[in-house]
Amino acid sequence: MHIPDGLMDPSVALVGWGEFLAAIAIALFFAGKAVREKDLPRIAVLCAGIFVAQMLNFPVGGGTTGHLIGGMLFALMAGPVIAMVGMTVILLIQALMFGDGGITAFGLNAVNMAVIAPLSGWGVYTLIMKVLQHGTPEPKASGLSKAEGVAVMAGAWASVFLAASACAAELAVSYAVSGGTYGIAGAVSIPAMLGYHAIIGIGEAVITVGVVAYVSMAAPGAFVKHEAPKPAEGWRKVASSKVVQATAAVLVVFALCLPLYFMYSSEGADGLEKTMEDSGVTEGEAVLTSPFSYGEDYFAALFAGMLGFVVVALSAIGLLTVIRSRKVRTEQA
Amino acid sequence: MIVCHVRGHRVRAEELDEHARATWLSRLDARAKLVGVIVFVVVSALLRDLSLVLASLALSISFAAMSRIPATHLARAYLGALPFMVIASVSVFLFGGLENGLAMLARTSSCVLALLVLASGTDTFDLFAGLRRLRVPALVTTLLMLTYKYILMMSEELSRMTVARKARGFAGGRSLFDARGMKVVSYTAGMVFVRSADRADRAFDALTARGFDREMMPWRRSRIAAPELSFLAWFVAVSAILMMLQLGVAI
Repeated sequence: MHIPDGLMDPSVALVGWGEFLAAIAIALFFAGKAVREKDLPRIAVLCAGIFVAQMLNFPVGGGTTGHLIGGMLFALMAGPVIAMVGMTVILLIQALMFGDGGITAFGLNAVNMAVIAPLSGWGVYTLIMKVLQHGTPEPKASGLSKAEGVAVMAGAWASVFLAASACAAELAVSYAVSGGTYGIAGAVSIPAMLGYHAIIGIGEAVITVGVVAYVSMAAPGAFVKHEAPKPAEGWRKVASSKVVQATAAVLVVFALCLPLYFMYSSEGADGLEKTMEDSGVTEGEAVLTSPFSYGEDYFAALFAGMLGFVVVALSAIGLLTVIRSRKVRTEQA
Repeated sequence: MIVCHVRGHRVRAEELDEHARATWLSRLDARAKLVGVIVFVVVSALLRDLSLVLASLALSISFAAMSRIPATHLARAYLGALPFMVIASVSVFLFGGLENGLAMLARTSSCVLALLVLASGTDTFDLFAGLRRLRVPALVTTLLMLTYKYILMMSEELSRMTVARKARGFAGGRSLFDARGMKVVSYTAGMVFVRSADRADRAFDALTARGFDREMMPWRRSRIAAPELSFLAWFVAVSAILMMLQLGVAI
């Protein structure tokens, strides 16, 4: 799943870098607080181990092989925040030392495998654990309970599948944005990546649960296994903030409504276009050709929509900050 | 002898840094090399015109030739990165025509080759220390350094486990539906983790005893001097020319 240089449209790669830098800055902030000097070798062992595990191929069928991503494994053994930093380190070594995954595409690779994979895996795991254990986790001395096993497998599968969906969507958007110079058409990339990785996910799930079962049995204290995310307090604050809730709500509604858009968008022009048509006015040559389009399929449109939302929200916040600082300055003066 | 599998090839530990001694490239300051090559790679990834892409590929190849790193070494590493590039190029070829497909292959090759020359022609510690001096956070660079050291250690542990497994008559793990085999394989992986954790602690203690610290500042620091500046100037100039030609062609 390592995207090489020159495969993605530059604008998509740039967005990927932006997303990656924002995510890693947050992760580094929290990880810097949580990591002690003596944890470093253990974390590095996890990085090295997952690097080695990524080189082991297992058969998928039809003559192709897949390899582990390991984001879920990392998140289980060291917590999601450290997993983000560690997966970034693995990807850096692959990109710099082995030419596996490009520099311009590094942001996208890191978003897929170092941000989406561990976070989604961890999220699915905690969710299932909560549902299955009704909020009263029973700490077991060693080994995995059945519920934990199910949760780990589901998390591992989801981490691979979601990372692959993100990768496929990026390829599709690149293709749509650049008009065929970059990327892979959504009609090919999305079914191929998803089908292939649904199977690879099974391998990832089986191996992850096996490794975790062994480690929790043989050396329960060897890694920080069930570290509750240290900044739980801060996270709750963020999650309970009105702005974040509103953002999540808008994005979820948008994602759910998008299929309707594709069902009805083909017929009929919108009000303005209809009016222009009626009155015989035609659209002139555009002064500025936008580098983005709304995309031709669900994922491309979803990506474009989210991108637009984030850009608008950020510029609004920036504008508000500027206005506020002006106000403060004039009040001071 | 430490043997490790790097991208499916068996590489001895000494070999990884073998080419990073004694060439003009290895003596340059790592910061200049990193910045120069990355500028070139970024610009190469942006090129669309086939002739310009080919020109950047030619530049990459001549950079590889001038670096005096053995061609077989580079070729092996390049072959490891090839499969995904070929899949992407073929798919572009099917949808966007022959020229786009060729441009895609040449563009990715050019970027990969330049990066491989940088990695093979630089001592690993210098490379990561260079990143640190370019203000990459210390947590990241220290983990990079330790991880790189431990990869060799763990591969050694893994191959020992594999031998032990074979000696006990294990031959499964060929199929995803062989539940027993998969269990053995994943237990092996778990065992490698647990055993390496202890060794890692000792190795880290030994490193700190010899003065390794989180900041990773080398004792003998190289400086940016005339050779570094000319290296940087050459790469920036070439990249700028390619970029301007690309913009000129596109208009």
